[in-house]
Amino acid sequence: MVDTSTAKQLVQAIIDNLEQPVPGRRPVHTIGVGVKGEFVASDVACTYCIAEHFNGKPVRVSVRFSNGLGGVNQHDGWSDVRGMATRFHISGERGSDLIATTLGEFFVRNVDDFFEFSKIAKREKYERRPWWRKVWDLLQLKIPPRNPYPDETKNVDEGALRYANRHRFAQLGIFQVGLIGAPESYARASYHAVHTFWVTAPDGVRRPVRFSWQPVAGVRNTDPKAVPRDRYLFDELRDRLQRWPARFMLMMTIGEEGDALDDPTKPWPGTRIRVVMGTLTLLKVSEDQEADGERISFNPNRLAPGIEVSNDPILEARLGAYEVSREMRGGCPFKWR
Amino acid sequence: MINLADLQGNILRGYTKKPHVRYLILEVVDRSAARLWLAASVSGRNGVPQITSGDWGENKPDTCFNIGLTYEGLCALGTPSASLKMFPNEFVEGMTARALKLGDVGASAPEKWPAPFNEPKRIHLIATIYAEKFEQLNEVQKRALPDEKAFRLLGTREGYNFPGDFVHFGYRDNITQPRFEGVHDPERYPDRQPRAPLGTVLLGHPTNLEGLMWRVPHPVALGHNGTFNAFRVLKQHVADFERYLDRAASYLLEHPQGYELLPRGEEEKIGKGPSRRAALREIVAANLCGRWRDGTPLALSADAPDPNVDLTDFDYVGVGDARCPHGAHIRRCNPRGGQIVQRIANNSRRLVRRGVPYGPPYNPDGPLYDPAKPYDGDEPERGLLGNFIGASLGAQFEAMSCDWLNLGLQDPRITGSNDPISGTNDPGTSWFDLPLKSGDTIRLHGLPEFVSTRGGAYTFLPSLKAIEYLGSPM
Amino acid sequence: MPSDEGVLDRLVDWVHTTDVFKCVASWTLVPYWARRTPVKPLPGGPHPSFQHGDNVQCMMNLIMPLKVKSPIGRAEAALAIAKNKDAIYAGLNNVGTVHFARFVIVGDNICMFSVYDGDFTNYIRDFIATIGEVFNEVVKLVEGGKKVIPCEKNVEAFIQWVHEHDLYQVPDTATDFLRDQEDLKGDRAVSPVDDDLTLLPRKLVLQLRANANISLGSGYRAYPGFSVAQVRKHLKLGW
Repeated sequence: MVDTSTAKQLVQAIIDNLEQPVPGRRPVHTIGVGVKGEFVASDVACTYCIAEHFNGKPVRVSVRFSNGLGGVNQHDGWSDVRGMATRFHISGERGSDLIATTLGEFFVRNVDDFFEFSKIAKREKYERRPWWRKVWDLLQLKIPPRNPYPDETKNVDEGALRYANRHRFAQLGIFQVGLIGAPESYARASYHAVHTFWVTAPDGVRRPVRFSWQPVAGVRNTDPKAVPRDRYLFDELRDRLQRWPARFMLMMTIGEEGDALDDPTKPWPGTRIRVVMGTLTLLKVSEDQEADGERISFNPNRLAPGIEVSNDPILEARLGAYEVSREMRGGCPFKWR
Repeated sequence: MINLADLQGNILRGYTKKPHVRYLILEVVDRSAARLWLAASVSGRNGVPQITSGDWGENKPDTCFNIGLTYEGLCALGTPSASLKMFPNEFVEGMTARALKLGDVGASAPEKWPAPFNEPKRIHLIATIYAEKFEQLNEVQKRALPDEKAFRLLGTREGYNFPGDFVHFGYRDNITQPRFEGVHDPERYPDRQPRAPLGTVLLGHPTNLEGLMWRVPHPVALGHNGTFNAFRVLKQHVADFERYLDRAASYLLEHPQGYELLPRGEEEKIGKGPSRRAALREIVAANLCGRWRDGTPLALSADAPDPNVDLTDFDYVGVGDARCPHGAHIRRCNPRGGQIVQRIANNSRRLVRRGVPYGPPYNPDGPLYDPAKPYDGDEPERGLLGNFIGASLGAQFEAMSCDWLNLGLQDPRITGSNDPISGTNDPGTSWFDLPLKSGDTIRLHGLPEFVSTRGGAYTFLPSLKAIEYLGSPM
Repeated sequence: MPSDEGVLDRLVDWVHTTDVFKCVASWTLVPYWARRTPVKPLPGGPHPSFQHGDNVQCMMNLIMPLKVKSPIGRAEAALAIAKNKDAIYAGLNNVGTVHFARFVIVGDNICMFSVYDGDFTNYIRDFIATIGEVFNEVVKLVEGGKKVIPCEKNVEAFIQWVHEHDLYQVPDTATDFLRDQEDLKGDRAVSPVDDDLTLLPRKLVLQLRANANISLGSGYRAYPGFSVAQVRKHLKLGW
C-alpha cells in the first residue's frame, strides 16, 4: 500500500524548493483551470481495452489544465511544462484518471533519483549572462542561455543541467524542458501520460501502452522572442470554448517486448503500433473553479477496471504523493475505484 | 561432379553412426606451430588427427575430425590482409556483433555467455571430433592437442545423439537436409523440394538466387569449396516447455472451439491414451513445431501422428498449407514452396543443419519435473549444439533468423510474432495461432523463451586445399 | 553583474542570429572545433534493432552523386529509370516488402528513397536477384559505381556500397544522437558521467560536417508497425 513516509518526503522535497509555500494550494501545477467536457471512444477502443470509458458511450469528463511552476505567481508566457489532468466519470460516481503533461519523458527513473535531483536542482539565482561570457559560449559553438524573463530572479535550470550532465537517463527530459516554450492555448499542445499502463482487451489479452492527447487544433507555441505575457491562457480558453468546443484525440501506443515498461525516462519509438482511442470534446470552462479547478484531486493510479499500473516506480510513488498533497491542501477525497 | 575429397566431410555428411561429438574451442598460441599442425592435419602426419574429407573411399574412418576457423583465427594464422578483406562482413564482425539480427538479446545476449564464449576474440579455431565410442573422443583430443605449442584449449562442448534422432523437446530431429545438384546422396529421404545448387553450401558455385555469386576469398585455394558455419550452443528449457504445454492444454480444454482441434472421442488417436489433456498437449507440441514428436509432418497428417506418411516429401500448398500453422518452427525455418511474401526467396535461404543434443535427457516422470511445482531453476543445463552451414551466413542463416524466425515477415498472418520454439519470446507479448479445420484459428499467448543462446561463433570451413594453403610455411 | 541591458549585451544577442556571424563561424570556428574534437561519420540506415516495429517500414535514403554533372548526366539517369518501369514493378511485387520507392534527382545526385520491411541486406539482395540489371544501369552512372557492378557478381560489395550511401538517420529523440556518437567511440559509461549537455549544438554541427546529408529521424508513420503484406491482406488486395 501507500508508503506514507516516502510520500510525505516527496511532497516535502517539492515544497522545500518553492519560492514560498502556498498553503491550501497544490505545491506545483498551482495555477490551473477546470474544464468540462465529454469523451467518446473510437470504434476500435473497446477491442483493446474493457475499461468503461472505452465502450463507445459518451463519458462526462473533468479536465484541469495547469502551468507546471509551483507558486501563486502566474507566468503563462514563460517556457514551462503544462499539465492536463483528466477524469473520466464512469458509472457509480467513480472515476478513471489520466494525468499528462507536455513533457514527453520524465527526468528521473525512481524515488531515489528524485531525491537526488531535488538536492541538486535547487532554485538558484538566474541572471542575464554577461556579454563577454556569451561571446565565449559562441566561440565554443554553444548557444548562450536565454535571458531571464522580467521578474525572473531564480530558477532550477542550472541545477537541472548539472543533474543531466551526471545522468544520461535524465538528459532527454531535461533537454526537452529547455525547449518546451509556452503554448498559445491549453488546447494547442500535446500532452503525454509518460508512464506505461497495462490495458486488458475483451479476449483477456493484456498490452503495455502509453497514452497521449493530441490537439485537433494543432500544436502551436508563442513566439519565444516576444516579451512573455503573464496571463492569457485562462481567458483564451474561455473565449475559445464560447465560440467552439476544443477537441483532443486520445492516442494509445502499444509497447513491444524490449520497450521500457517501467522507466518513464525512456521514450518509445515512433515505430510502435498506435491506436486512436477516442475524442475528447471540451465544452466549457467550469463556473465553479473552486470545486473543479482547486479541490478536485487526481491520481494517476486511479484507474477504471481494465487499466492497470505498470511497475514504474515513479507511477507508484505518485500514488502516495498525490494523496499526501491532497490531504495537505484539503482536496476533495474521491471514491477510490 | 564435385570432388568430395576436397571438402570437409561434415558439410555433406551427417556422421550418423558416430553419436559422440566433442567441440574443442582453441586459441592459436604460436603461428608457425599452428600452421604446421594444419599442414599435418590434411594427411594425418605426426600424430595429428586427419581431417575427414567428404570422400571416404573404401574405408570408413573410425572417428571423424573437422575444423572451422573464425576471422580472428584466420588473422592469427597470418592470412594475408588482401585475402582477409574478401571475407563477408558478417563473418568478419563475428556472431556476437550480429546479436540483434540473431535475436541474441536478454538472457541470450553475448554478454551473458559463459566461458569460453565470453571472450569471442580469443576463439580462433573450433575442432570437432565425432566418434562411435566415448573413449575415442579423449584419444583423438590427446592426439590433436599433445601440448600447448600450437593451440591453447579454451573450452570444450560435448554432445551425444540420442537413439532415434530425438532431441530434448522430445521431437525427432535430423530429418530434412537439402539435397544438392551434382552430389549423389543415397541416404536421403525422397523430398519434393528442388535440389539445391551447390552454391547453397559451397563457395565458388552458382547459388539459388539466379545469376548471383558470393564472393570467393582469394587465392582460389583458400576460398573455393569453403563454406561458413554458424555454431550455436542453444540451451533448451525443457521443463518450461512441458509446463507451457500443460497450460496451453488447460486453456484449450476450456476453449469453446477446442473440440474443433480435437473432436471428442478422438483422444486416443493422438497416442497418449484416453486423456484429453494429454492429447491436447501433444497437439500443441505438434503445432508449435510443424511436426508431431515422432516426426510426422502436420502438412501431411494434421489430425494425428502417422508412422506411414513420408517425413519429408511434402509442401505447404493446398492441404499442407492449411493444416500446418504458418508460424510453426519448421515452416518458419524453411517455407519450402509455400506462399511467402518474398517470393524470390523461396528455397534461397536453405541450410545444412548438424545438431547434437547436450546435457542429460529429460524425464517428465522423474524427480526433475513436477507440474504441480513451479520451475525452481534447478533444471540442469541441456540443449543443442547446432551447426548451420551455408555458403553465405548473411543470405541464409541471418536472413532466416532476422526476417523469418524473429519477425515473421514471410507471412502477414504471423508478422509481429517470433518462432514459437526458438524465438526470442516474452510471455507478455508472444502469441501463436493454431489453425482449425474451419479456417479459424485459436490464438495461444504467453509463450516464454524456450531456447536461449549460450555461446557460438561464425566459422569458415575451409576445403582440404585451403587447409593445406593455410598450413604452408609463410 | 549587469542587470540593465547594455549596448554590448544587445549586440551579442543580436549578432549570433545574423547570417554574417553564421558564415564566419562556419569558416573559422567549425573547422577549429572539428580539429580539436574530431567526430567520425555515423553509419547510415535504420538503427539495428530486434524489435518488430523497428523492422517494418524501414527507411532507405540513398544519395548517389552522378558522374556527369550536367543536364545530360541527369537525363541519362532519368532514362535509366524510365525505361525499366516494368522491371521495377516486377521487382516490387516479387520481393514483396517495399511500401514505397521513389527516384528523385536533386542537384547532380540520383536519389532513391524507399520504405521497406525487414533486414536491409535481405532487401537489397532480393532486389539484386530480381532487378540487378536496373541497379547496374543506374549505378554505372554514379561516382564510384563501376567497381561494384555487375551487382550480381559483386553482391557483398554492392550491398556494402549501397549501405555506405544510405543516409545516417538522426534518432527521433534529440539526445539519442549523443548516444550514437558515444557508441561509435565505444563509450558505454553509465551514470554518473561527466557530460556537458550544452555542447549538444556543437556536437550536432560537427556531426553534420562529418555526415553532410542526413535523414532527420526515421520518418513519421501514419500506421506504424505493419508490413506491406499485412496492409495488403487487411485491405483484401492479396499478398
